[in-house]
Amino acid sequence: MILALINSILDAAPPLVFAALGATLSERAGVVNVGIEGMMRAGAFAAAVAALVMPTPLGVLVGMAAGAAVAGLHGWLTIRLRSDQVVSGMAINLVMLALGTFLLEAVFNSPSSTPAITQLPLWFGHSPLTWLAIVLPFIVHYAIRSTPWGLRLRAVGEKPQAVAAMGVRVAPLRFGAVLLSGALAGLGGAALSTATLDRFEHHMPSGLGFMAVAAMVFGRWTPLGAAGAAAFFAFGNALRIGLASSAPGLLEVVPKGVLLALPYALTLVVLSVQGAKNVAPAALGQPYDPELR
Amino acid sequence: MRKALPSVLSVVSAIILCFFAAALTRDFGTAVDAFLAMWWGAFGDWPKFFETGSAATILRPLGEAGTKAAILTFTGLSVAVAFRVGLFNIGAQGQLVVGALAAAVVGAKVNAPGFVHVTLCLAAAAAAGGLYALIPAVLKLKRGVHEVISTIMLNWVAISLVDNWLVIGPLKATASGDNSISGTDQILPSAELPRLLGETSRLNFGLVLALFAALGTWLFLTRFTRGFEWKAIGLSQDAARAAGIDVDRGFLEAMVLAGAFAGLGGAVLILGTELKYPATLGAPWGFDGIAMALIGQGHPLGVLAISTLFGGLRAGGTRMQLFGVHKSFPELIQGLALLLVAAKLLWERLLRKRGTP
Repeated sequence: MILALINSILDAAPPLVFAALGATLSERAGVVNVGIEGMMRAGAFAAAVAALVMPTPLGVLVGMAAGAAVAGLHGWLTIRLRSDQVVSGMAINLVMLALGTFLLEAVFNSPSSTPAITQLPLWFGHSPLTWLAIVLPFIVHYAIRSTPWGLRLRAVGEKPQAVAAMGVRVAPLRFGAVLLSGALAGLGGAALSTATLDRFEHHMPSGLGFMAVAAMVFGRWTPLGAAGAAAFFAFGNALRIGLASSAPGLLEVVPKGVLLALPYALTLVVLSVQGAKNVAPAALGQPYDPELR
Repeated sequence: MRKALPSVLSVVSAIILCFFAAALTRDFGTAVDAFLAMWWGAFGDWPKFFETGSAATILRPLGEAGTKAAILTFTGLSVAVAFRVGLFNIGAQGQLVVGALAAAVVGAKVNAPGFVHVTLCLAAAAAAGGLYALIPAVLKLKRGVHEVISTIMLNWVAISLVDNWLVIGPLKATASGDNSISGTDQILPSAELPRLLGETSRLNFGLVLALFAALGTWLFLTRFTRGFEWKAIGLSQDAARAAGIDVDRGFLEAMVLAGAFAGLGGAVLILGTELKYPATLGAPWGFDGIAMALIGQGHPLGVLAISTLFGGLRAGGTRMQLFGVHKSFPELIQGLALLLVAAKLLWERLLRKRGTP
């Protein structure tokens, strides 16, 4: 029972963990990324389509590239054109939602899903992405904690003017973080369509991108915190699905919808108890204007 | 007028880009046919009307366009009103969901004579949406929680609780006979919004409400002291505070009004066309409101105009299915238009080059 639960967490967590890490990277550099949902969708679609004509692992890379490409659009809008970061993110979500459906119909003549592909192989009973999702949070943690690049990344999210005064260019640094963020979100999406399932379905990622943003906030904008929260939320999902099959009686007492709402409600409660101001990066959401000092 | 130029150009470019997308994936002729079908489906099939003389070819599309335009106007106003005081209400979706549920419940469970019943339903929806929007406003003022984050969370709380619990659980329709039904109980006939054009068209009183809401908001924001105060808060909180304006009260009032508008959008959907809270709401109307507010540049009449256009296109979208283009195609146009509007600086640079020597 407990083993089954752990197994289902290991299967459910990777998409959320990758996306939450992606969100964290972008926001620590000072760029709000609520477009994670759309970037995941791009990654899921591109990976599933690419895997039709090439080996699935390469398809996953294509998914990451697609996520990064969409993130590039976000970066161009918010960093080069100094557009509102939330607006750009939401616009990306709306476009990707409609574009995915449009392409499904236009290319595959099917409103529901792409044809099946071969799933990623299993390593020790789980997809390779599961093991990557366990290691990656520590790598990202180390990278932004202890490397010069990470220090600059965090600084550019707190006080970009200071970074610029140090002679480091703000825009490329932020752009890099946003691209990485998109690649990770794309990887999360690809995990959905190549590991969790064996195709892209029209509703993907059905709100997981927003759950990843919640995980990032819950984890106080730190890689380990975000990944931990993502795993915790995945635990909730696994519990919900597990309960439906093993103990449907319990779902009468605690309805499915309540369990679904829990990650968001918890995030909100934690946020309002601790107050958000001292946790979020100081320059989050503010376009960097070199003429303002 | 000149201020509206970037929005107009964005919408036009989005339509052209999407036309090429359709032409590339199908062929040129099919794309033309599909776009014509969308246009006739949006604003009346005039060629067919002159051919057959059947009024339904005009009235039915207009009805679909009008009902969708009304909902989009309400959620668009919701986002626009919050923008006025400088708040970003991403929570219109959640507020719409709770408003829709309130309308469906009052519509089904309360007994009252016609006019009173509809009013009660609308009031319940506005109150539910308004109260739900009060949460992020209070959290912002008391705990410093950014409204973008809190409204995103509240959206999913509302969607999870309503769609995945209440509507399939405690409030599920009682099965009558042998056919299983999804969603909540049907609302009583007395709670339905009156139809404007008889039975051939689903056009209902919701459009009139949306019209009044947009005009009323415009008057309020431009001709009333409080509307001016909101604008001052949105432009600079510090300056507004220095001028003796109660900024906190402005935040609370604007968010409650925003939530009430989103809730009314939900009510129009339920009382006008769905007649119950369905298993799924069909479109993310609340998220679409963000697009309406931004393409309409936060101006109530701009929101009304752009909602009318996209309400129409989305009504016509269902007809594109015949040509192998998914019915959500107008949403692609809408998303792209929003993305182009977001690239504000780009338009400003382009227009400046043309405008001034």
